[in-house]
Amino acid sequence: MSMVTGNSYLESLLQGQPQLPPSPLAWFNQLRANAVDRAGTLKVPTTRDEEWRFTDISPLAKLSFQPLRGASRVKTVDVERFYLDEAAVRLVFVDGAYMPQFSTSPNRAKELGLVVTDLSTAIATHGVAIEPHLGRHAGFEHNLFTALNTAFLHDGALVVVPRETAAREPVHVLFIATQPEAASHPRCLLIAESGSSVTLVEDYVTLHEGAYVTNAVAEIALGDNAEVNHIRVQRDSIHAFHIANCAVSLAHASRYRSVSVALGARISRYDLNVLLAAEGAECTIDGLALITERQLADTHSSIDHAVPNCTSRQLHKCIVDGAAHAVFNGKIIVRPGAQHTDSTQSSRNLLLSGKTRVDTKPQLEIFADDVKCAHGATVGQLASEELFYLKSRGLSEVVARNLLTYAFGAEIIDRISIASLKHRLERTVLERTQRD
Amino acid sequence: MSAVLQKLVNQPYKHGFVTEIESDIAPKGLNEDIIRLISSKKEEPEWLLEFRLKAYEQWLKMEEPRWPNVKYPKIDFQSISYYAAPKQKKKLNSMDEVDPELLRTFEKLGVPMHERAALAGVAVDVIFDSVSVATTYKQKLAEVGIIFCSISEAVHEHPDLVKQYLGTVVPVGDNYYAALNSAVFTDGTFCFIPKGVKCPMDLATYFRINTEESGQFERTLIIGAEGSSVSYLEGCTAPKFDTNQLHAAVVELVALDNADIKYSTVQNWYAGDENGMGGIYNFVTKRGLAKGVNSRISWTQVETGSAITWKYPSCILQGENSVGEFYSVAVTNNYQQADTGTKMVHIGKNTRSTIVSKGISAGHSNNSYRGLVRIAPTATGARNYSQCDSMLIGDKCGAHTFPYIQVRNQEAKVEHEASTSKIGEDQLFYFAQRGIGSEEAVSMIINGFCKDVFQQLPMEFAVEATKLLGFKLEGSVG
Repeated sequence: MSMVTGNSYLESLLQGQPQLPPSPLAWFNQLRANAVDRAGTLKVPTTRDEEWRFTDISPLAKLSFQPLRGASRVKTVDVERFYLDEAAVRLVFVDGAYMPQFSTSPNRAKELGLVVTDLSTAIATHGVAIEPHLGRHAGFEHNLFTALNTAFLHDGALVVVPRETAAREPVHVLFIATQPEAASHPRCLLIAESGSSVTLVEDYVTLHEGAYVTNAVAEIALGDNAEVNHIRVQRDSIHAFHIANCAVSLAHASRYRSVSVALGARISRYDLNVLLAAEGAECTIDGLALITERQLADTHSSIDHAVPNCTSRQLHKCIVDGAAHAVFNGKIIVRPGAQHTDSTQSSRNLLLSGKTRVDTKPQLEIFADDVKCAHGATVGQLASEELFYLKSRGLSEVVARNLLTYAFGAEIIDRISIASLKHRLERTVLERTQRD
Repeated sequence: MSAVLQKLVNQPYKHGFVTEIESDIAPKGLNEDIIRLISSKKEEPEWLLEFRLKAYEQWLKMEEPRWPNVKYPKIDFQSISYYAAPKQKKKLNSMDEVDPELLRTFEKLGVPMHERAALAGVAVDVIFDSVSVATTYKQKLAEVGIIFCSISEAVHEHPDLVKQYLGTVVPVGDNYYAALNSAVFTDGTFCFIPKGVKCPMDLATYFRINTEESGQFERTLIIGAEGSSVSYLEGCTAPKFDTNQLHAAVVELVALDNADIKYSTVQNWYAGDENGMGGIYNFVTKRGLAKGVNSRISWTQVETGSAITWKYPSCILQGENSVGEFYSVAVTNNYQQADTGTKMVHIGKNTRSTIVSKGISAGHSNNSYRGLVRIAPTATGARNYSQCDSMLIGDKCGAHTFPYIQVRNQEAKVEHEASTSKIGEDQLFYFAQRGIGSEEAVSMIINGFCKDVFQQLPMEFAVEATKLLGFKLEGSVG
């Protein structure tokens, strides 16, 4: 596929993208074509754009891009260590390409009553189910990266949980980066039909410490009374660029819980847009960014209370060390008429070094009067009273500090329901925050 | 209940009347000649004219800010008259010489001029359409060395002081409206508190826009020398007009070592009618520089008027251990729009700031809090606490919060809290049970909501503010 964008940086980003075969489905081809058109007119955001004010992605433009090589070099031993014991079904993508040899067979999912497969095969068999959702939740009108992802729509993860089906074991979608100087566009679509429940682990890992670009888009649609537990772990290389957009839409009385953990990437940007589209919907969104050296982690969330009687809870934490920079922008919108909205949001930032930088903006936009909305933000060091309390019980200064720092991060990790993943992340938090 | 309250909230603007006084009005439009005209009318020194022209030059290159959360038709800056002064033959020595028409106006407004001023212990520097008419208590203040006069007078009498500080806190090119003000400001207040002097009384000035279609460009400069302290009150009312009036004031405060400046405002300008017609555009730049060690700058504002309010009284905390405070109540009703808040820029070590903002929206209005807390890398040990609460009355209004927190120093502590609430039926029921009518109940709830801010106001202002809020809002709940 050729793209004329009138933008030299984009041209270079597009280099090395494989030719995508046209799909037999007209709407699918149209979606891609629209995204191509849109990407051509959008500009690369700069710090002059309010939404990117604190996140300078100009280093991304300096990266040169190589064509993607085949993924056959990747051995099972390389990827095995990322598997989760608890996950009954697994989809593995290497540099954006579906790897059936590492994934569990579609039949395994079928036995559990689920559809877990790659998007390019599913488009032929499940086109009717996919059409109302794919590209409909994650809008690309104003988002260049989502437009690019949609333009390259080919492989991707599809998870469909049919009506009244409860998936007991989690579904693990693993995206592995193996090649430096490459750009991949992972895509994930989860459709939780009415009355269903599922746990989805969206996992980004790497086999090397080079520079590359991951531009991910996830769409999650919840039917009436559906329940989705979404765990997102970003463990990209410390030199990588991770740009992601997750769009969630909640129907009547559905429940969405999300824990996202950002550990890697030189620059990471996560946009989480939750639309509470029908009454009685609830969402709980928790995030942890643990960054050091010259890392930048940017989380932009938007929780849109479009209708009355919905509840949202958000806790976002950052542990910032070295010369790292944490950005948080949490927007809560209460639309006209969305009475009895109950929303709380909290942004907590812990600074471990003198060169760190934090920009946080919890933002409320309220157009209804009978609502409960509260938000809070804190930035600072460990509280001296808490240190004193521990020291008075015989802990040394260092031990007390380590304990409190760990506990700060563990509050979010604790909310992960999968034991093996939780332990792994707990270990990472320990390793990263403990001082001698 | 609703009908009674509706009647109350829809009270006509009490201060809407036009005083007929002969005015000396400059032709409409803005260009270098107008600036030269203003400067020569005011017999200004050369450096001030240069200051104005530099500002004008910068203003031409700037664009009107579009980021505030307010909507209004484009302002035609060429259709505004930039100079209007009541015709005056000679300098006045006593109140008796003042135009009786003017005095009647003040009476209608309830301005405590002479006796009332004396009773209230307030010196009022009355600003009437840009030119200072009478200044009371000047002698008494002069005894302790305090200079309190109009800024045009200060330009002539104390040129060195004005030259040293004017434009140092708000540079001429700071923002669009500050640049405009710097180019065309006609009058305002100047205040200098000398070293070690505690000002014996609260200083006050009443602003009042009078001539239809004349923008008002006030300039206030207050300097607190080492160890001094002063409390300054600003109160505003304006007559009712249908064409929008632009008000772009600049207030600069400078606090040197151990100085303490407290600046309180009650703003009740014409807000437009219930359909959003008319009203004042209030685009104000207010900034205080806490320059010296242990200095303190405190802003308190009660904003109830204006069709559009766009102001961010700010503190630059440069001196070590300096303190910045911002206490605000902003009330919007009908089609009013307010985008207000503060900036606390921590530069010095161990600087502290407190922000308490209460926004109340009713009718079809929109009320935004926009704040910035910036901790510079040098501000070790800095501390900020912010609280911004919103109350919505009715389901057609909006409340917005945009708090920017930027921290560049590890040893700083920043806390921000915000909440939204309404006046609940259960609360009103509770009052009713105890024999308190809904009107009074609403008034009590609102006053409770705003208590933290009202406590910061000087007594006379607190009384006025409480009444004002009652008038503005009582009818909105039902």
